This record gives sequence, structure tokens and C-alpha cells, in this order.
Amino acid sequence: MSHFSQYKDTIQPGDLALAWVSRDNVKPFRIVPGESFNTRYGSFEHNAMIGKPYGSQIAVRTKGSNKFGFIHVLQATPELWTISLPHRTQIVYTPDSSYIIQRLQCTSRSRVIEAGTGSGSFSHAFSRTAGHLFSFEFHEVRYQQAKKEFEDHGLIADGNVTITHRDVCQDGFTIKPTDTTSYYEGSSAHPHVAVTLDADAVFLDLPAPWDAIPHLDEVIMKNAKVILCCFSPCIEQVDKTLEILEKHGWTDVETVEIQGRQYEARRQMVRKLDDALNRLRDVRERKQVGVERRKRMFTKLLNEEDTASEVRPPTEKTQFNPFGKGSRVKEGDTKFQWKEVTKVEAEIKSHTSYLTFASKIGKISRNEEEVLRELQKVRDGKSNN
Amino acid sequence: MATHKRINIGEHVVLRLPSNNFKVCELRADTEISLGKFGAFRVNDIIGYPLGTTFQICYDKSFEEVEQKETKNKAKTPAGNVRILSDRLSVSDSDANGDSETDLSKAPEVATYLSSETNKNLINVGNKIQKLTMEEIEELKKQSVSGEEIIAKMIEAHGSFHHKTVHSQEKYLKRKKQKFAKFFTVESPTSSALLQYLIDKNDVARALDLSQESLGIILSLANVRRNGTYLCVDETGGLLVYAMLERMFGGNALPDQDGKIILVHENEHPNIDLLKFSNYSEEFIKDHVKTISLLDFFEPPGVEEVQSAFTPLSHDALKEMKSNRKGAYYRRLRWYENQLEIIDLATKLSYDGLVVGSTLYLPDLVLQLSTKVHGSRPIVCYSQFKETLLELSHVLYGDLRFLAPTILETRCRPYQTIRGKLHPLMTMRGGGGYIMWCQRVIPVQENDMAALERPKTTESLEDNEVKKQKVE
Repeated sequence: MSHFSQYKDTIQPGDLALAWVSRDNVKPFRIVPGESFNTRYGSFEHNAMIGKPYGSQIAVRTKGSNKFGFIHVLQATPELWTISLPHRTQIVYTPDSSYIIQRLQCTSRSRVIEAGTGSGSFSHAFSRTAGHLFSFEFHEVRYQQAKKEFEDHGLIADGNVTITHRDVCQDGFTIKPTDTTSYYEGSSAHPHVAVTLDADAVFLDLPAPWDAIPHLDEVIMKNAKVILCCFSPCIEQVDKTLEILEKHGWTDVETVEIQGRQYEARRQMVRKLDDALNRLRDVRERKQVGVERRKRMFTKLLNEEDTASEVRPPTEKTQFNPFGKGSRVKEGDTKFQWKEVTKVEAEIKSHTSYLTFASKIGKISRNEEEVLRELQKVRDGKSNN
Repeated sequence: MATHKRINIGEHVVLRLPSNNFKVCELRADTEISLGKFGAFRVNDIIGYPLGTTFQICYDKSFEEVEQKETKNKAKTPAGNVRILSDRLSVSDSDANGDSETDLSKAPEVATYLSSETNKNLINVGNKIQKLTMEEIEELKKQSVSGEEIIAKMIEAHGSFHHKTVHSQEKYLKRKKQKFAKFFTVESPTSSALLQYLIDKNDVARALDLSQESLGIILSLANVRRNGTYLCVDETGGLLVYAMLERMFGGNALPDQDGKIILVHENEHPNIDLLKFSNYSEEFIKDHVKTISLLDFFEPPGVEEVQSAFTPLSHDALKEMKSNRKGAYYRRLRWYENQLEIIDLATKLSYDGLVVGSTLYLPDLVLQLSTKVHGSRPIVCYSQFKETLLELSHVLYGDLRFLAPTILETRCRPYQTIRGKLHPLMTMRGGGGYIMWCQRVIPVQENDMAALERPKTTESLEDNEVKKQKVE
């Protein structure tokens, strides 16, 4: 069953769902009748979710207090999965992945190579769009984990994702029946034939992409434009990659960097100069009252009047407090005036990686006879009209 | 070769010129396409090659004489022969095609000139350093001398070329090649290419100042894929719809796909002008892009009203109808079917996503359209300005039907991509807009809350609690 490629209406037993507890607490879980999803706000029974539409908010009474706890149950998308997934490695975040997909011209006709798989975050995004994704992972344990995850998520069953255990830098990209790969597990694949990758989009997230690039010629589409993206954190890696790209006939080379930022919608209190002045005046006036009282007392004392101690009037809190000083004012309190502002997130991803793009058409040619036939067909069509 | 990777007759392509400007063309058989100062070529010569191929336009002497005699109209650029280049930068390179009959010796390469360690002897005297005059260069161009030859002549006549450093010579050559070389790359009309075309034409304001990176993230965040039904407001002249179609179906039509875009428009007719550059058939677009005005969407006609105005006839009744009345009947039938479809789109569907690129007041627009969006589906809103999204975010924060509204910005910073001289470019395009992203959710129902054991606290505390958790 695919949990990503089909839009689901209601929450059903067996579904992979995401529990949105808060912005930085989104957890994947499997819907199993009788089980419950535990948070510090309380325990949410799956039975209370089953049958409800996706996106439903679920309430529970928090133990030992009179408050409610809430979660939202969402259907997973590659982007939500990226927020929630268990990190096995550094992952490619949405600002980068979405740009790469756009720039690789990835569509439902694309055949994409991804190396390595890593935490599988980008694989989910690729699998949504690509015609076929060939993902390679050299780390045995990570391969097993990713393969299981793809199976659990229905990506393998959807038929457009293949994951292979391979060090592409050493052994290239060709997939043979003897390999550790998910490819031959699909019913349609012939068990004795090597796979024709015929890739037209390549994404390399490897520490040494220059070792993998020479192997690409064997598996990329011939006589068609192939676009490549290398994802490298260091500028030295980029430099070395450029050398090998040039050597192997890749052109239109460009390195870019993506900067993604998130803003929080906030409010700042409008505090007018006049109010600040009036507040100071108010403070001064009230101070003046005290000063005068003390002056009177002093004079009385000098005149040795016995009744010296004038009863000190209780200091009343001022009624004039335009900015709510001294009390906790909630942002947006309607008693005050507010200006809507944006606040950039406290910690920003200032550098993810350099993206180096290049393209290549191996062996450019055309079928002259075919072209002549096509041209003739057009001319015939015209003369008929 | 798969047809979508090939240059096909009758399709639209984007031509990338030496200046890196873009031009959109339809490839009609037996015609010529002129690229102005970069020359002209015959469409038939490029058909069948892979998209992405770079062609050089060559004018050899014999060809030139024939052309001169035949062409009475001097203003028309004569079409040259095309030759395949393996790289846009190596204009003189011809190994890809094997036929290297043109003079390779004339092609200027930095290695063939003396250069200087530093530029300490280079004194800027402006134009005087170039001994060729403008008129002389123009004359060379008129004689259809190849770009390389002109550049070689200009270097010859350049007083201090040897005082330049190798790097600076390379830059000089690249600049001159962009100016005089006659080549072009044929690219597929992707959404990114069309956007670049608008940017080059200084027309990106028409697309709300969108950037490629913003476009990419909109499509990903909206989870656009082949089987969804999406609600869309598009004031970019159709670029958003175009890009969504691309993610859903690839460059041209795939059979048996059920994805749809419902485009809601504010004027009587939708503006999806850019779709004319797409390679989808009219029929395919009609099946997959449904357009409906805001008024029809929010105030659809009633079913009874439509049905009382028209009754489709049976097959037999239709047979007996006179042919002069049939035309009128079919017009009415189209209207009838269209009205029923509007009712379906406006009332029956629950959408898999909402994508908005509009200058209408967003809080009203998004709140109202969102009522038609299914739970757990994304709402993505693009704006050229952060402030309009800020206002929208505050409204959505206060509404329990929206989860975690977030304002995003993404910017691509291009680098000078030369080995050993990697650094960010000195200038780049500003703008690119902002994106608001949130999930449509379904707040817990009153009676669901009541079903839980009642506490002794007040109602208002509960309400606050709902809000508080939402904001977290």
C-alpha cells in the first residue's frame, strides 16, 4: 500500500500517519487499532482517529490536570517527512531539494540516479515526481534501513523506485542480477537481464563525486541531454569536480548556492513618542507631589511644630500606563496597538552545500531518413488541406 | 530517442543565443528562423537532433554568392548552414560532427597569443587601443565573415592584447564570442526556460517577479504530482499552471492521467497566455486545466436552474432535427455541459492543494478558497512582497483550520564557476518573492471535546489552550 503516492481521505488501520505535536515535534507512526500515541500532553488512542478525515485535530485530557492536549494527524508528504524523519545522515532540505528537482527538469518522464541515498529524504521527493529513481547507497546498514523504509512507505511497490547497495565511486552504476538491489524484487523485472538505467538526471551527494562521474557515461541516456547536480559542502570539492567534469565532456557548468529562510509572523507594540512624553510628565507630576509633601514636612520640622509627621498618603498606582509596563502583556493584546512584523528564525542554515550543475549530450546524431519522412508527412498534410 | 528529448517539427522550443538571451520559436517545417545579428538557419536542418544541442551557423563563400543574388530584400538575414558544437564556449570546436572543413586555424584561442603575468603594463586608453573602427567591423559583418575571423582580426588590431593576463584574455574572448559568434542552443520550453525568457525580456513583472527557486519550492511544498486535483489562482500569465502541468505530466501529454488543475480567475476570461508556448494539444489542456471565474466558483448556478433552461434531446429526436437547427442545439448543449461542470467544480470537489499567486487581498481570498481544500493538504501562496503574506499569516494563525503558517524565502546565489577562481558573482538579480505555506486542518469538534470527561475549569481556558498549542 502506498502512503505517499495516493491522496487519502480518512485515517485507516495500517496507514503511515504523521502526528503534528508542535513545529519541531512531528512524529511518524503507524495506525494500529487498540494502540495509542503517547506525548507529554497525553495519550492519543488510534481508535479515536480511525475513520476521521486526514488533517483532523485530536483532543485528549491531560493526565492529572484539567487541560486538554492536542495533536493533528496528517498524511505524509515528502516535505513533511523531511521535517519528521529519523536522521541517519545530514539531509537535503526542501529549499535545496526543490531547486534541484526544478533545475534537473525532473518530471514524470525522468529517469533519475541518486547517490547516496543517505536518510532517504530526497528519495521521497524524487519518487513523487520522477518516472524512475535509481538510488545507490554504499553503507550496508543504511542501505537495509532505507530499503525497509521505502518498502514500508510503498515506494518500492509503486514501481518507480529502485535502491541498490553499491559504492558507485568504485563500481559504477550498472545494476546486474547478482547485485544487492530491490530491482529484481518487482514482478515486472526480468531476473537475468542487467538493468538499462538510461538516466537523464543525476544527483550526486558524495564526498568524492569526481570518482563517480567517469562511470556515468555507461548509464546515462545517449543522444539526449542529461543534467547532473553535485552536492558538496566544500569549495575544494567543487574545484576538483569542475576539473573532472571538463575532462569528461560535461558542459554548461554552473555552481550555485541556495539560501532558504523562514520567518515568524509576530507583532510589535506601537509605542508613540507622545505617550512616552506623557508618561514621563505623569511620573514627574507624581514625583512633584512627593517632593512638595517632603518640603512641607521639612518646613514644619524647622518651625519645630510637633505635629511633624504628616500622614503619608498611600502612593496610588498611576492610571496612565500606555505600554502596560510592569504587567505581562500578551503579544497582540487588543488593549494595545500593534504593528505586524516578521522575525527571522533564531538559527538559520547559512550554508548547506554548493550545487554544481552540468549537462551532457553523449554522441549527437539524428536519423536522416526518419527526419525526411516526417517532413514529407507534414508537407502531405498541408497539401491535403 | 524518446520524442520528448528530441527536436520535433511543429513544437515550441527555446533558443539560447550567444548573448545568453532566450527566444521562443515554433519549428515549422521548410521555414527559416532569423536570430538577427547572430544569423539565420533552416528549421529542417535541426529537426531530429536531441534537445540541448548547440548549433553553429556557418556561411561559406560559394553559398554566400548564391544567396546574395537570390535575396532581393537586403534586410533579410540569409540562412547559413548549421554545424553541431559540443560546447557553447568552444565555438571553434567541431569534433562532434566530424566534418572540420572550416578553418580551425582562424579560431582564436588564448594559448596562441602572448600574455602577461600581471597587468602592470596595461594602460587604459579606451577605444583608441582598438585599431579597427566600428565601420570596419560592421563591414566585416556584412560580408558574413565568421565570428572567429572577426575576433581574430580585432585581436590583431588590438594594441595591448599581449599586456593582458591570461585570465583577462579569456574574459575578452568570451565577451567577443558572445557578441560576434553565430551559434544557438535549442532547449525544451521548460517552465524554468520560459521564466528565464520573461526575465531576459525584462517582463518578469508580468510573472510577479517570480524566481526559479521560488517556483521550484512552490511546486514541492504544494506536493504537486500526477494524480492530484489542485485549485489555483494564477496571475503570472499562466506560468504557475504551466509549471504545475510540467510536474504532473512532463513536457507533453501523457495518456491516461487523471490529474487536474482548476484555475479560478478574476476576469471574465482567464489569462494563461504562456500556455501557448507549451507542447500540449489544445484538447489535453482542455481536459486537464479547467477554468472558472471567481463569481461562478463562489456563486455557482443551481442545478435546477440549468436543467430547466435546457433539456438534452434523445438520440432519435436529434436525428429528426433539421440541420439548420442542429447548430443552435449543439451550442446550447455545450453551454449546458459547461454549466454542469462549473457546478461540479465549485461544489462537489475537495481539492488536494491550493496554489495562489495573486495580487488580490489575500486574507479574504485564501480563507474562502480554503473551505474547498481537503484536510491535511497544503496551501501555498506566493507573493512578490513579504508584507502581504505577513498579514495573511496573522489571519491564518487566528483560524484553527490552518496549521503552522510559515513565511519562506529562497534565494539562489550563482558563482563564477572557473577552477581556482570560484567566488559568488558580483551582482545577481534581486527579488524572487516570498512563499507562505501551511496545512489545511480540521479543528476538533465541540461534541468531541464534550465526549471527553468534563473538567471543573471554565470554557475559556479550553479555548485558550487550543490556541496555545496551535501557536507552539
